[in-house]
Amino acid sequence: APLTDTVPPQVVPGADSSSRQLCFAWGPAEVLVCETLFGRADEGEAGAAARALTDSVAGTEDRAPSSSRVFVVRRDQDIYIQTLRKLFNESHGIFMGLQRSEEELAGKSRKAQLVQVSKNYRSVIRACMEDMHQAAVSTRDPALQSQYSTQVSILSAMELIWNLCEILFVEAATAGPLLLRLLDWVRLHVCDVDSMVREVLSSESPSKHKLFWNVVDVFVLQGRMEEAQHLLSKEASANPTSMNMYKILDDLMKKMPVPSLSNTQTLTELELKWQHWHEECQRYLQDGTFASNPHMESICKILLGDEDAILEKKELMTTWYHFLVTRLLYSHPTVKPMELRFYAQSSMDLFLGGESSPEPLDMILMAAFEFEMHQVIKECSIVLSNWWFVAHLTDLLDHCKLLQSHNLYFGSNMREFLLLEYASGLFSHHSLWQLGVDYFDHCPEYGRVYLELHIERIPLSTEQKALKVLRICEQRQMHEQVRSICKIMAMKALRNNRLGSALSWSIRAKDAAFATLISDRFLKDYCERGCFSDLDLIDNLGPSMLLSDRLTFLGKYREFHRLYGEKRFPEAARLLLTLMTAHIAPCSFWMTLLTDALPLLEQKEVIFSAEQTYELMRCLEDLTAGNPDKQKFQDDDIETTKVEMLRLALARNLARVIVKEGTVEGS
Amino acid sequence: QVSVINTVDTSHEDMIHDAQMDYYGTRLATCSSDRSVKIFDVRNGGQILIADLRGHEGPVWQVAWAHPMYGNILASCSYDRKVIIWKEENGTWEKTYEYTGHDSSVNSVCWAPHDYGLILACGSSDGAISLLSYTGDGQWEVKKISNAHTIGCNAVSWAPAVVPGSLIEQPSGQKPNYIKRFASGGCDNLVKIWKEEEGQWKEEQKLEAHSDWVRDVAWAPSIGLPTSTIASCSQDGRVFIWTCDDASGNSWSPKLLHKFNDVVWHVSWSITANILAVSGGDNKVTLWKESVDGLWACISDVNKGQGGVSAVTEGQQNEQ
Repeated sequence: APLTDTVPPQVVPGADSSSRQLCFAWGPAEVLVCETLFGRADEGEAGAAARALTDSVAGTEDRAPSSSRVFVVRRDQDIYIQTLRKLFNESHGIFMGLQRSEEELAGKSRKAQLVQVSKNYRSVIRACMEDMHQAAVSTRDPALQSQYSTQVSILSAMELIWNLCEILFVEAATAGPLLLRLLDWVRLHVCDVDSMVREVLSSESPSKHKLFWNVVDVFVLQGRMEEAQHLLSKEASANPTSMNMYKILDDLMKKMPVPSLSNTQTLTELELKWQHWHEECQRYLQDGTFASNPHMESICKILLGDEDAILEKKELMTTWYHFLVTRLLYSHPTVKPMELRFYAQSSMDLFLGGESSPEPLDMILMAAFEFEMHQVIKECSIVLSNWWFVAHLTDLLDHCKLLQSHNLYFGSNMREFLLLEYASGLFSHHSLWQLGVDYFDHCPEYGRVYLELHIERIPLSTEQKALKVLRICEQRQMHEQVRSICKIMAMKALRNNRLGSALSWSIRAKDAAFATLISDRFLKDYCERGCFSDLDLIDNLGPSMLLSDRLTFLGKYREFHRLYGEKRFPEAARLLLTLMTAHIAPCSFWMTLLTDALPLLEQKEVIFSAEQTYELMRCLEDLTAGNPDKQKFQDDDIETTKVEMLRLALARNLARVIVKEGTVEGS
Repeated sequence: QVSVINTVDTSHEDMIHDAQMDYYGTRLATCSSDRSVKIFDVRNGGQILIADLRGHEGPVWQVAWAHPMYGNILASCSYDRKVIIWKEENGTWEKTYEYTGHDSSVNSVCWAPHDYGLILACGSSDGAISLLSYTGDGQWEVKKISNAHTIGCNAVSWAPAVVPGSLIEQPSGQKPNYIKRFASGGCDNLVKIWKEEEGQWKEEQKLEAHSDWVRDVAWAPSIGLPTSTIASCSQDGRVFIWTCDDASGNSWSPKLLHKFNDVVWHVSWSITANILAVSGGDNKVTLWKESVDGLWACISDVNKGQGGVSAVTEGQQNEQ
């Protein structure tokens, strides 16, 4: 199948496409866009001339400042919004809990567990909404306020959708409870009328308030019978003439059969009762019982599920899905899940009435009512600015075993695809990337490789951060990344002249070449300054000394100094000699070593044996004779003097030791 | 939803030909017809000019950052036939090596995967591809593939490093036996794949599908699948996606991504290889993501900017 495009227009403000082309480059998190003009001057003389001509004709005005700008563009800005931080952090906790949750629970308890997870997610969304709302009211910057308010509506929409998905998919409410859940859902989300309700209820004489009947209607539309009855009783006491009508209406409302959550009656029983009650309402209406009070008559019609009557109260319902639920309540309370789609479609059509067209949110909800889970996810992906919502929701639905595996390009399923996208987005953030690691861990097919690719791009701005990243890599046996990071840190340390740090990083990276380089630097430093830096490190190299010959030499050489310092001269002497004879020391260092031997040669006590002295002499001769380019030995006065001193010291030592060894003890 | 998080005013005095972020997204390198290469620190939405590198005598076509384990190293190539490698030493950027072995404009430079060492491939209008390898102590060794493409080579792109066969960790100190490969695109309308055998570079594959000069090639990063993928774009307005299913690299098959109405100049893969960006002569950059069943939708919404805006638009329907 041909590759299909999937990305709608994304516009980069400020760039001018009329005269320029766009140059594009991927950054690790951001992308770069800049204006350019493709075309090479290398297309022969004609090409070069042509370009030169264009450039000069264009003139300096056309080569406006805009052409020298590079735009750094980021796709997902949400992760940088401080108030959403809670959303990302807490949902991460819920996500992890879900992944680890015991699947041994079956049936009802598993379902209850999953519903709880869903509720947890929703409460995090609501908490965030609350924070965002607080931020909106407390800021004085209108731009920020507008941004926060937008965020609040987005979060609200997310919660709305999630809640519906919870009812339909996670809980999979059946006929009966389904209606009750939908009623709860509507009550929770249609808040536009709340202030009006509060106003009326808190007034001194509610029944005299001009919005009194609106509030009664709201209660009826939302199925809040008791509250409606309560208000009506106030009206009845204030208006005795309507007492009769009131009593009947009140009675009807009290008797209205509704589904219950407990299994006290079957659906069939409910339907029968309901039919009966419906007929009773019908009789009262037709008898003209409420004829003198249009408000009450309208309520009765609503109770009868009269679409027109309900539709008249459009402004009080504000949305087509409220209308849907009200319709269902009063015409088909035992609606089955699979029947929802028909009612939903007609409700939307009736409510919008051709005046307005459905918005993206409407389409998403419609897809949910139609039980088209994939469609819901797809639409949400398009509309929402980051992957958070679809990734977590899909993961939950997957745990409910509701998603068939749709193989994508990578061969992985939808859940994994979304999680990969979401987690990838987290990696561009300086601290949220750590959450991303966990998400990748739970993507069985590509999580690991995505983690490998992303974790290498985390700027290792501090040693602490580098260690954190390393720990993560080591825990997952990501050896290549460990090595790479250690090498980078070693290079950084070296550039900043922190030799000790550079050395320990290269040891950790098992980078022999680098270790050699750094050891050379240490030795060079020693030669120049006469002392070692980072003694602790060198003294405690242990087996890692063997990583490179030069490093071994460094370690052993330092050991020599230590022995000397502890006045363990014979051992020091032996070590010194071994360093040369076993060729552990590089030739370039031999002169230094021999010079180090001088104090040992000039001790009161004879330290080097005859054998050793001969060895030393041989070393010295090898050194001075062998190298044609060491002409400087002859030219350089200091070098010559040194050699002379050594020869003298060696000779003297030899003399003394021959005597000593030749002397029989005690004689 | 895209948002511009930073607008770097490079103050280049002429057309910018390339802009590249470093490995971590902390630095930006740009090069221009004004013959300079500039480096900016762009952390936290800032833009601090770190270096203004002069050394080229003609428009500079491309820049490429080396892997940070080698230090801060940047390569640039230019119409002046030179490839210059710049290095940051003691806080300042300096030229560390200059290669003048090409007879014509050098159009493209690309660093090899860090696992191979510090190796730079360069493609030139003289038809040759040169490979510069750092051997230590400031020394570079050069290998040249003459006549890689007749008339000229426009682009080079390395294959990701994959150890053939085993993925078990090698004992430390022992270098794994990598098979080094890279792709090149040229004025002979061909995409070629080169493989190193016994220290010599040989042409392994010739991929024919374009009817005009190949302007860019991009080898997709590896996500662990046994398949290899290369994107190529051409003067003929076509973008092909080449895939090879077997590890031996023998059978490559092209899929037409799209035929554009104008020359397509650049293709590049995102770091996890799930999106391909295509820059064309039609003043747009299009982003492509392979999907099955059209199931996946997209990344975001249209975002309207003010004043002069440039659309980074969706591609049109495929033409076969």
